[in-house]
Amino acid sequence: MFLVEAPLVARREVARGMFVLSLDAPQIAQSVRAGQFVNLGWSPGPLLRRPFSVYRTEGDRIEVILKAVGGGTEQLLAMTARDTISCLGPLGHGFELSPGPRSVALVSGGLGVAPMPLAAREARAAGMGVTWVHGARSVDELCSEADGDQQIWATDDGSRGFAGTAVAAVPDADLVLACGPNRMLAAVAMRWPDAQVAVETYMGCGTGVCLGCAVPLARGGYDRACKEGPVYRAADVEWSMLPVHLPYAISS
Amino acid sequence: MTIDMSVEIGGLKLRGPVLAASGTFGYGTEVPLLERRALGAMVSKGIFLRPRAGTPPPRIVETPSGMLNAIGLQGPGVEGLIRDYAPQWAQWDFPVLVNINGETAAEYGELAARLDGVAGVAGFEINISCPNVEQGGLYFGNDPRAAAAVTDAVRKRTDLPVWVKLTPMVTDVGVIARACEAAGADALSAINTFVGMSIDLTTRQPRLSFRTGGLSGPAIRPLAVHLAHQAARAVSIPVIGIGGIMRADDALEFLVAGCAAVQVGTATFVSPNAIAQVHDGIAAYLASHGFESLSDLPRYLPRD
Repeated sequence: MFLVEAPLVARREVARGMFVLSLDAPQIAQSVRAGQFVNLGWSPGPLLRRPFSVYRTEGDRIEVILKAVGGGTEQLLAMTARDTISCLGPLGHGFELSPGPRSVALVSGGLGVAPMPLAAREARAAGMGVTWVHGARSVDELCSEADGDQQIWATDDGSRGFAGTAVAAVPDADLVLACGPNRMLAAVAMRWPDAQVAVETYMGCGTGVCLGCAVPLARGGYDRACKEGPVYRAADVEWSMLPVHLPYAISS
Repeated sequence: MTIDMSVEIGGLKLRGPVLAASGTFGYGTEVPLLERRALGAMVSKGIFLRPRAGTPPPRIVETPSGMLNAIGLQGPGVEGLIRDYAPQWAQWDFPVLVNINGETAAEYGELAARLDGVAGVAGFEINISCPNVEQGGLYFGNDPRAAAAVTDAVRKRTDLPVWVKLTPMVTDVGVIARACEAAGADALSAINTFVGMSIDLTTRQPRLSFRTGGLSGPAIRPLAVHLAHQAARAVSIPVIGIGGIMRADDALEFLVAGCAAVQVGTATFVSPNAIAQVHDGIAAYLASHGFESLSDLPRYLPRD
């Protein structure tokens, strides 16, 4: 775990209102694994840090993806090159992508695309064929950056690709990884109990001490999205107890 | 010049006045970036006799300059603590106090008796912000007799230092402070979180599953400084100030207001090394104002 004052080096828009920020954070870039996150703090910013999945890495840079969902994210998007952002990470337990499965489907809804580029890279390194399945409400909300040997798009309104949810558009694969709204992940859990899913929760510290990011488990009790998670075996989460109305989470 | 930052709190000698507050430092095993040289002591996550699952999510929500939490005192119970954590504490170069909780005064006493003599346990901080099931759920900390009864129940079962963590949800904190002092407390921690509530206008439901939570962070600091000051004026035992300390100047306010030491909590979530920064900042203030030790810092404690 590192704490880095990371200069903002670039920003690009990848869907309507959805941006990727590049930060210079060498130690984190070199150690982060797919599905892990960074906890970001900035000035003036909110009181608590905000967790973001690491979207991509490139050399000494890490990237995060976000939309403006409130005052804090608006401030982040208003920053200019060389403004610094305090980066704590890498945090959490990411995807398990050991060699074995021959194919993987990376299933994302909206900002749930966040951990998928790193997952694609690690899956490919482990010898898997990668199918990229990305959904949103409509074409202008789809993230324009995609990866994978095969790409499937899904929109609720049918404006691009499959008309329906990303989950309904997933082809056969040996392994399924998913990230998106909790409602979507609950649907993933019904269909693929062994899928690996990255859940969204509110977080306090991000380092395991505050117990604020409790994830209810099917076997009873809770553990911590920031430590044991944010990636879980889909059937291990008690989905009925996870709020579906979070205004944000790993991406706000 | 090296500043003497040591302080003695009710028989416990601490190398510095900045302590980790209960519930913000876990069991001390998971804050890797902290420079521990600066840590005066740690107060553990609150513990009950038996394991507790805690409350369903959402457990925390940010509010203006603060956060509400309702964790529900999730924890492994006293036997889990003795097995998994106390052996590690016994190796550390700072004392660990256990924050103890119960539903009856007798339960607090039992906890203290079970932990007394366990290597790694240097003392107790009693959380009296718990509902008393023998009094219809009235909080121990809201009633001077119940607060004294809990303090007495613990005092009778241990010779280790006993601190009582006061709740701010009272009419006169001085009355409770004096009751705890009279019942044998060695020090007081002032102050616990304020009970608060926040509503989600999308669902028109409370944001926290527990409906209410404890408010911490800079939002409560002036309230906390005042209550810690009132407590310090009411008793002759040391008072440890708590409430929204983010940097050294905040801690110095509590110290000048009459506190012997401080606890840092929410700031650790924001900055894992906050405790060391506060410690070093206090030392720098003392040096730049010509004081050789923390004990030379004048306290504002008018007697009228």
